[in-house]
Amino acid sequence: MWVVLLVRSDQRGGNTSSAVNNALPEHFLGFGLGLRTDHFQEVIDTKPPVDWFEVVSENFMVNGGKPKHYLHSIRELYPMVMHGVSLSIGSTDPLNKAYLNQLKVLVNELQPEWVSDHLCWTGAHQVNSHDLLPMPYNNEALDHIVDRISHVQDYLGQPILMENVSSYITYVESEMTEWEFLNEVAKRSGCYILLDINNIYVSARNHNFSAQDYLNGIDKDKVRQFHLAGHTDYGDYVIDTHDHDVADPVWTLYKAALERFGLMSTMIERDDNIPPLQDLIAELNIAKRIAQNTLNYGVR
Amino acid sequence: MVLDNMEKNSLASLQKTMMAFLLKGETIIEKSIVKQGNVSNKTRLNIYKNAYQARLKEVIDNDHPILGMYLGDDLFDEMVSGYIDYSPSNCTSLRDYANQLPLFLTKQKPFSLHPIISEIAQFERLLLDAFDAEDAKRYTKDELQKLSPSDWLALTFRFHPSVQLTSFEWNCVESWQALKKETAPDPAIKQTNNWLLWRNPERLTQFRSLNEEEVVLIRMILNGEDFSALCEYLYNRTTDQDVSILALNYINSWLDDGILRSFS
Repeated sequence: MWVVLLVRSDQRGGNTSSAVNNALPEHFLGFGLGLRTDHFQEVIDTKPPVDWFEVVSENFMVNGGKPKHYLHSIRELYPMVMHGVSLSIGSTDPLNKAYLNQLKVLVNELQPEWVSDHLCWTGAHQVNSHDLLPMPYNNEALDHIVDRISHVQDYLGQPILMENVSSYITYVESEMTEWEFLNEVAKRSGCYILLDINNIYVSARNHNFSAQDYLNGIDKDKVRQFHLAGHTDYGDYVIDTHDHDVADPVWTLYKAALERFGLMSTMIERDDNIPPLQDLIAELNIAKRIAQNTLNYGVR
Repeated sequence: MVLDNMEKNSLASLQKTMMAFLLKGETIIEKSIVKQGNVSNKTRLNIYKNAYQARLKEVIDNDHPILGMYLGDDLFDEMVSGYIDYSPSNCTSLRDYANQLPLFLTKQKPFSLHPIISEIAQFERLLLDAFDAEDAKRYTKDELQKLSPSDWLALTFRFHPSVQLTSFEWNCVESWQALKKETAPDPAIKQTNNWLLWRNPERLTQFRSLNEEEVVLIRMILNGEDFSALCEYLYNRTTDQDVSILALNYINSWLDDGILRSFS
């Protein structure tokens, strides 16, 4: 029997989606976008049909002014999730307590649906590369990261999501595949997984592994969110640039991910060459249609 | 993927050699990278190095658009590469990465030979500070009118957290304004000048020049001195005006600017 469920529509300004499926995952937020400065005013003025927004945590670790004003105004209209880039969970530097404190303050302000960051390191010896540098996938790194995620989760009082990064190098120190490592991190730390479909595609091309093997190797119960993004294809290698539309092979992989993991909160992450909001919404509608067609998930 | 015959680094050692590559171009890290396909390890590693430098350049570019116009592309690129070497980032947010740029420009030739360059950088950093400073309720004329006469003499003011008081030795702000209007700036001229920057109630960043008298009054307020002290200072400078009216004129202009912080 089909049951009509409203997807938390009481919390969602501008939301028009209603799911026709009696098996919606409890954690399903719908289809979201990364909140970008270029679109702040338009989001407030037009309340576009986006189910939720993801915000980059560090962009709002400021004391006040316009960024915070827009953030709180939009938070009143939409559910949000927080996505960080500076936790540096894999670094051998001590966890940055000042950063964690800022993160917790922002969590308390925004009350996001969840908090995520990346399975990577961003710096060492108190120097930040501001890049998502890959880990060696071995037991030393595994023990290190699991311990640190546990500390972060205890501090924040909630499980976090860890995202797979795109990478261009493989260390000789690696002893297992990235997906085995990611799975083990989630299993041992209790964190969940933010699966970036574009990053899987980029890394699969750069390291010549099967993206489907990656999907098949990830524990179904641990994934809570998908990212979609664009990349730049240089032929012999691919760079994760977030400045293009989502590429066709990534849409294909997204379909495969839906088939394996079921309906999943999905967002498009655009960080450069930002198009008009309506263009991103049109791209998000492609993701919705793929989900509808793949899972018989309905949007009225 | 597992190469048992190769020496393996600890996580700490691996991270140290990777950072040495990114910051100094040291290539020891190449020994820790597996050879894969047609793409050389050098190409793979350079993706990270190029991204590191491009990201930091983009930050400086975004934070200092007028400085970039003042310098022109070649000098701007020289400044950026010099600053990246001089000041590796130790902040979690890129918002703070270029905080030391004005200081760098006072030390590094050829920029240090033209002090106005550092001052333009400093002015742009103060604009950023005003832009995202803490929010606070502003003092209003209504609040002021509710004061009883006995409250006035010991009245102290506080400024909105976005308020920045600064002085420059060169015509940096006038040059900044000219470039903002896409006109050629005047040659650098040495002239001591004082400026006030703040974020107004509409959340727009504003600035204006200050005369010496207003600078002293603002400094007195920052030092916690009360209304009677302000009046006493004005009394000692003025002969032909009622100092309380003069003081009220200043307070009214500060209220209009929205730079005073509410007590409530």
